[in-house]
Amino acid sequence: MSHTLHRYGINEADLQDDYVVFAIAAQTVNAKGIHPQFREFEKIVMKYNPVNYGDMRTGNKFNVGMETVGSSYHDNSIVHAVFTDEATVTKVLKDLYEANLDLSIVVSGLTDHTAACCHGAGIAPHTVEHSMGIWGKTDRLPSEDVLRVSTMCGHGMLSFNLIKDLAQKVAKKRMTSQQAAEKLAGLCHCGVFNPVRAVRIIDKIAADINAGVEIK
Amino acid sequence: MLIDKTKCVNCGQCIPYCPMACIQKKDGIVQIDLDECVECEACRNARVCPRDALYMQKLEGTRILRSQFSNPLITHPKTGVPGRGTEEMKTNDVTGRFKRGRAGVCIELGRPGTGTRLKDVQTVAMAVAPYAKYGFEPHNPVTALMVDATGKLREDVLQEKTLSAIVEIEVDQKDIGAVLDAISKVQKDVDTVFSVDFAGRLERDESFPAKIVAQKAGYKLSPNGKTNVGLGKPLAKEE
Repeated sequence: MSHTLHRYGINEADLQDDYVVFAIAAQTVNAKGIHPQFREFEKIVMKYNPVNYGDMRTGNKFNVGMETVGSSYHDNSIVHAVFTDEATVTKVLKDLYEANLDLSIVVSGLTDHTAACCHGAGIAPHTVEHSMGIWGKTDRLPSEDVLRVSTMCGHGMLSFNLIKDLAQKVAKKRMTSQQAAEKLAGLCHCGVFNPVRAVRIIDKIAADINAGVEIK
Repeated sequence: MLIDKTKCVNCGQCIPYCPMACIQKKDGIVQIDLDECVECEACRNARVCPRDALYMQKLEGTRILRSQFSNPLITHPKTGVPGRGTEEMKTNDVTGRFKRGRAGVCIELGRPGTGTRLKDVQTVAMAVAPYAKYGFEPHNPVTALMVDATGKLREDVLQEKTLSAIVEIEVDQKDIGAVLDAISKVQKDVDTVFSVDFAGRLERDESFPAKIVAQKAGYKLSPNGKTNVGLGKPLAKEE
């Protein structure tokens, strides 16, 4: 499943603060007994203050909390950390390379920039997956700004209506965009949602609402 | 998902949380349209109901597919990994699943946010089957529902609805343009959206021939994607 792929951006600049680094083991090859290595992965990525962190099996720092995530790794965990700049991703990759964790490490983000991060860390990228965007009955989709937020949860747990509802509350000053982003981050179970990018987009939607723009 | 009417106070707090927008208030009563509900449990997991009135019924027959494909907290019995997909390229450094010269193509129906009937999944699967030189991914939950190599699904599952479902094939990289043409052509025949991607092992000079083939065929790639950086061990043996 491509749960960190297909994050919708209006252009390259819109995606420049959105990188997910995650660790996974191959269930048919090296997964048996590997779960302590996820703890080592956690130690490395936490040095660089990710804006989100979570395990698909357990939850994330915004819903179950770091202590629960960190004490519950399984051999089939998929553990994610979200970062907002290339320089940090490069440092994370360098540390992961030197740590020899045996886990497969995947980075989601701007493809060319990710390659640069790999090179900066002394790594040759192995396999790449390219998103071709959204096809089919696209008239069923909401506005681009709602999509920019909702697609940061690849499992589709963030409803279009909820994003619009929260943006309305921000527009009416009933909550802050930070609170809205953290609410959404808690609902995206595996911790791949980027609350920093979300704040930027929710502020934009709220400003549009206050300017009388109808949000589809 | 059901609502315990002895507890529900019809406050509507749960309504915006449904990814399928199938919780609605009619005549002052909050109701779930069970034909549209994909059993993802997003409403209950949000824990916004002040009376804990949302509960899962026992899923019987083919309805259990809704939960297996839609709730990412469930480890799928076919794949061994949480969620509705497979490891695909995430572990390619270790499994060697995608060899140089080949590409995996994924068409995720219902994503983002619209959901899909499995009949639409069948329509797309049958459209790409002629190009699946190396077949459909055997560990994919959709493949498990197929009755033959044409991509036809079991008749009894076609009306089931899921949050999304992924058709996953492996092709020669040189054939990517033809596969994308087939996907483009079938767009008008489905009542949902879908997200498309392809993946492959990079060449030694880090080029990816499939990318060039797709671009030459006139297809635009998103600037973002996913990169397996090759740190898994033991590394898969390559020819």
